[in-house]
Amino acid sequence: MQEMTIVSGVLLDDAALTLEELARACGVEQDWVVRRVQAGILGGQPAVQVTSWRFRSGDLLRARSLLRVERDFEANEDVAALVVDLSDEVRRLRARLHALGIE
Amino acid sequence: MEYKDYYQILGVERTASADDIKKAYRKLVRQYHPDVSKHKDATEKTKELNEAYEVLGDAEKRAAYDGLGQGRRHGQDFQPPPDWGQQYDFGGGGGGGSAEDIFADLFAHMGRGRGQRAGGMGGRGGGGFQMRGEDIHAAIAIDLRDAYQGATRTISLRAGQQEKTLSVNIPKGVTPGQQLRLAGQGHPGMGGAGAGDLYLEIQFNQDARYRVEGASVYQNVPVAPWEAALGASISVPTPSGAVEVTVPAGSQSGRKLRLKGRGIPSSTPGDLYLILEVVLPPATSERARELYEQMARDLAFNPRERIGA
Repeated sequence: MQEMTIVSGVLLDDAALTLEELARACGVEQDWVVRRVQAGILGGQPAVQVTSWRFRSGDLLRARSLLRVERDFEANEDVAALVVDLSDEVRRLRARLHALGIE
Repeated sequence: MEYKDYYQILGVERTASADDIKKAYRKLVRQYHPDVSKHKDATEKTKELNEAYEVLGDAEKRAAYDGLGQGRRHGQDFQPPPDWGQQYDFGGGGGGGSAEDIFADLFAHMGRGRGQRAGGMGGRGGGGFQMRGEDIHAAIAIDLRDAYQGATRTISLRAGQQEKTLSVNIPKGVTPGQQLRLAGQGHPGMGGAGAGDLYLEIQFNQDARYRVEGASVYQNVPVAPWEAALGASISVPTPSGAVEVTVPAGSQSGRKLRLKGRGIPSSTPGDLYLILEVVLPPATSERARELYEQMARDLAFNPRERIGA
């Protein structure tokens, strides 16, 4: 029952997501995204019209990580943002340790 | 397929309250968080916990799971009842593909927030609602070389009840964490609505020679003491081929040389940083020992000056 297809995708940083697409990719209401952009937790440009917001790969990853923490722990959005920031920092530092041959 | 005891995975009784299940899940998912845990299989364990909670944390799925699992043991061979698919509106039973994922799929189409409704009730053919297929998120691991040259990688995934093998073009210039969006390759829609999309996160295989940050690449380059001290022109194998590099005289270990535009060839190309690492020739031969002894005698060199020796 295998079906073989050759496909090409679009790199998100060449064709960024709209608000609607980001919300859909995360399985959330658009309002969830809007509130986090306005609070400065998620990318997007609060100053410009919502319809012209565009999101890139990093925003999608971050949105999904935020959502995970918020849902798993019923965390408030600021705490979730802090957890995700710390997590990113740990990963960055680990990569540096690895490059230095320490870990 | 194998039966999975989700209660056992979360370490709770079958009679546990929704609140106890939530508490147990939170405790374990915190403990096994891949960024925190020292467990070797933390990632695998987290996946298992998420799968268990996805079902037991949802009243409807839990009820369905309880109905299926009377008196069964973890790992036991298991066939869902023949009417299972009709009851929950997904065609076909299991069969084929990887056993682990199929069991979880039994519950994928029920309960909260699954799939997305597309534009209200459908017009075509009359009646029934339309539901756009769910997006799928997956990751694909590539080598640094693939990011320089582009590549084709084959992945297997399940979309709806089908196992699909896709051959995916990895465009040149991708960086870690970037998302490749493959329109229409997610779960199929219902009632004539479109399929979801597939999002592939680009991950890089660990390579002891390189470290990648965004489009920048860092590479250690071993040099001889005389190359570092006197300066030299050396040939360095880099991800984009061999490069002639000038080592400035008086270099020490850790000195960074930037080769502009030789990082990952993204729309804004990254830079390649060569980090010099002075390596000593071993003093195993008579001649080598003589040379070291001569340096020790003739050079007034105090390597510990900086630390006050």
